[in-house]
Amino acid sequence: MSGHSTWPEWVYVGVVVALLIWVGAEAWNVERLIEHVPEDAQVIKVTGQQWFWTFEHTDGTKEIGELHLQKGKPYKFEITSKDVIHSFNIPDYVVLQDAVPGRINTVWFVPKDTGEFPIQCREYCGLIHYNMRGTLYVEDTA
Amino acid sequence: MKKIVGLSCILTILLVIPTMQYVLAQDAPGEYLDRRVEIWNLFFRMMTVAFVIGAVVSGTLIWLVWRFRESNPKAKPTKYEEAGEW
Repeated sequence: MSGHSTWPEWVYVGVVVALLIWVGAEAWNVERLIEHVPEDAQVIKVTGQQWFWTFEHTDGTKEIGELHLQKGKPYKFEITSKDVIHSFNIPDYVVLQDAVPGRINTVWFVPKDTGEFPIQCREYCGLIHYNMRGTLYVEDTA
Repeated sequence: MKKIVGLSCILTILLVIPTMQYVLAQDAPGEYLDRRVEIWNLFFRMMTVAFVIGAVVSGTLIWLVWRFRESNPKAKPTKYEEAGEW
């Protein structure tokens, strides 16, 4: 070959490989952390259908288009759809999960601030997709 | 010595930092992880790395083009150019 020193190239390759591994490990670790559902999380069944959201609490009460939760408590959403693919999204809490017919997807979170937060569909699901909205009401724990 | 320093740097990045984060991230009872914080922090860490690498790579390219341009006073012909083979 050319006979020139190749160590800078090996250093470059090493740095690139180390960075790629670091990026993968960090992402994997954060994913693992946020997917670990607390044992005391309350289950909320979320059903998407054209073009509204239905929420069912553990005691059987149902809400349509709005969801009332308590501040500081963990909630696990079990998300599904009755018709086409939707995507359940609470932007303020970085909650985003697809709602797929025949499948239950889960995501959990803890509301840390009281107030009203928008819920929306994040997957184009038909004519009135733009208006498939709801409201999350986070109330102080009584 | 240099090899040891290099190896320790790589091992620190790969093993020690994630382990420390894992240990420090253990939930205390009654405290829950905030996914907003975790996800946005990951995003900011990744953006920091991406911008630093972008700056280093583009800086290297700019320096390379500037330093080895034909009109640079320090430019020397390569051995092929000297021998008239190029």
